Amino acid sequence: MRDLVVKYLSKGVSRRNFVTGLTKAGLTMTAAQSVLSSVSTVTLAQTAPATGPVKTFEGHGGAAFAEQLIASGVKYVFGNSASEDAQFYEALVDRPQLKYILTPHEGPGAAMAAGYVKASGEPAMVMQAGVVGMANAIGQMFNAHKEQTPLVFYSYRTDQSRRAGRDGFEEVLNQEQMVQPITKYTWLARRGDMIPETVRRAFKAAWTPPFGPSYISWHSDFNDEKVKTEIIPQDQFDPRMRVRPNPDDVQRAAKLLVEARMPLMVVGDEIYKAKAAAKAVKLAELLGMPVTQVRQLYANFPEGHPLWVGNLAGGNLNSLPYPKGVDVVINVGNKFQHNGANPIVPRGPKFIDMRIDHWSMGNVMLTEVPLVADVGYGLDDMIAAVEQLMTASTKQKAAERAEDVKKFSTMARTLRGQIVNSPDWDQAPLIADRLTYEVARFADPDAIIVHEAGSVALHSFDFNPLGGRELFFYYGAHLGSGVGTAAGVKLARPNQQVICLVGDGSFTFGPTALWNMARLQLPVITVVYNNHAYSGPHSRVINNVPGGRMVQTGQFVHDYLGNPDMDMASIAKGFGVDGEVVQNPTQLREALARARKHTVEGKPYLLDVQVARKGVGWAQNPWVPPIRVAETRTRKV
Amino acid sequence: MSIRRVILLALASVPLLAAPASAQQKPTGAELIASKCFQCHTQAMWQDQRQDTRAWEANLYRMVGRGALWSTEEIKLMAEYLGTNFGPQAR
Repeated sequence: MRDLVVKYLSKGVSRRNFVTGLTKAGLTMTAAQSVLSSVSTVTLAQTAPATGPVKTFEGHGGAAFAEQLIASGVKYVFGNSASEDAQFYEALVDRPQLKYILTPHEGPGAAMAAGYVKASGEPAMVMQAGVVGMANAIGQMFNAHKEQTPLVFYSYRTDQSRRAGRDGFEEVLNQEQMVQPITKYTWLARRGDMIPETVRRAFKAAWTPPFGPSYISWHSDFNDEKVKTEIIPQDQFDPRMRVRPNPDDVQRAAKLLVEARMPLMVVGDEIYKAKAAAKAVKLAELLGMPVTQVRQLYANFPEGHPLWVGNLAGGNLNSLPYPKGVDVVINVGNKFQHNGANPIVPRGPKFIDMRIDHWSMGNVMLTEVPLVADVGYGLDDMIAAVEQLMTASTKQKAAERAEDVKKFSTMARTLRGQIVNSPDWDQAPLIADRLTYEVARFADPDAIIVHEAGSVALHSFDFNPLGGRELFFYYGAHLGSGVGTAAGVKLARPNQQVICLVGDGSFTFGPTALWNMARLQLPVITVVYNNHAYSGPHSRVINNVPGGRMVQTGQFVHDYLGNPDMDMASIAKGFGVDGEVVQNPTQLREALARARKHTVEGKPYLLDVQVARKGVGWAQNPWVPPIRVAETRTRKV
Repeated sequence: MSIRRVILLALASVPLLAAPASAQQKPTGAELIASKCFQCHTQAMWQDQRQDTRAWEANLYRMVGRGALWSTEEIKLMAEYLGTNFGPQAR
């Protein structure tokens, strides 16, 4: 037996033959597996350190890839099957700390990885099969780009290094260039022993603020090569850069804020990422300053706070019902994505822009004081500067302003609560607002709401990043992210209720992640707003062509998904997730109770809620293009 | 030019946040729409729609879900105005 162990350690015998040899020597299969496990640990230890934190590794390129991922702090790899990654899969067998999650489609798989990264703050890897798998993942790569998610993507080049450029199977020239515009960093490793270095650089690029996706690739034969290379832990190559703002600019900005008649704070996702919501609240309270948010992924300020005046509904800050006469605006970490011609911060008020995303500063708005900073540090410094400048008189002014803001926010809360007075409130199928309201009543106080029901306005949740309900919205808008994101969020935060709100249009782009929920026991509640239509494009098309032929005839080719109606509960059952169709408000409450019971038992559940098509121009039975192929056949086959 | 289009053009020309004639005088439905809807919408959103007052009221409550801050009375006034001028029988 000792000879056998020596042979195995010196790679003179395969794993299978080692186990077979042990059983022939009289060990049971269980005992043989136990010996294998112990010896494998020794084998791995042999790759260990040469000097300091740097390890020298000798083995296959695929195994070097796995080693560097572990050293980079990666716990989960989200991938889809490919024979070219065989040596990577082989390496995982004896590296249980690196877990591979098989995703049946690369798009929802990448969304799941993004959800995990967002909810955990930890790195993850997305793997696809060559260019064909990469093409499926590109949609979610685009989302990661728009939403600044630090996600690292890898796919091998199908062509091996000695036959590249010959138009081989699945080969495309310069594969890595396909994703260049939507990644922070794109690279093709030139040698097998450069795989770990390439991996390190990808993680460094993705996780250096402002975050974003990166993409790496190499010829598939590099995975099979024997290499000798360095493995380096993440903290040795990634500075995780956190920047303090320029102190002079902080003083200038603090003076503007303290002397302002009516300052306004706009909050954004950098606050959530920096875990700095409490600091944003403190700055607002010091100044009695109203707070709003332009569309982002997260809720970055407690919506129940008396200084919260609501999300911006229109195109710029002038559309806020309150406050009026703003003379100083401070942005803390909002990306300000413009969808109209007018600047979101109008010309007039002095504008202080605090964010690490320096690239987008000054693109549209006139900026009085730019503060390039990690917003956590930036808020610390700003609070200190404001406290220093505040006098008895300015404190009094701030207190009076806070009272005014509170009067508005109290009134606004009352008016928002009137939504229950809609004449359609009790109708079946439900109006979307009723469904939202009931889910908000049902959700746990610290529930996480993943929202991909694009044309549904969320209300009634009272999101609160300080220990209350959290929001994971989107603005990448490549559809099909919601279900996967919810699965990834639950993977990262198993002890919080996760509810996925998704429109039927979005749902059909990415249901495969339901299978992951079932297999991994991720008890997520998925609620489909099923109005059998693309509501958003319906309304916007009418807005773009008012009074046109579409409106006159009711012939909209682009928006109706019914006839036949899709049954999302049946789709869910096909992926191993129980669910039901809900027709009216009474059924909804009972169905939500069943959903809770399932999740308590560790199982996901789906509600396919029938929702009314509301808004302009919907017919009772919408027109369907008259394409019926069966009727045109000359042979009934 | 249709009567409805004339009304809409007139509405669009009312200054935003137009004050009623006197502080005591309540704004009309038309004034409310001019002051509260054109912040986010152009008239194109509804100029070709015809529905009764109840349906317009339901539309306005949808906007409450999207952040509109209107009192019940204001919603009633706007719905009545729209139901009258953009109702099923309007031309």
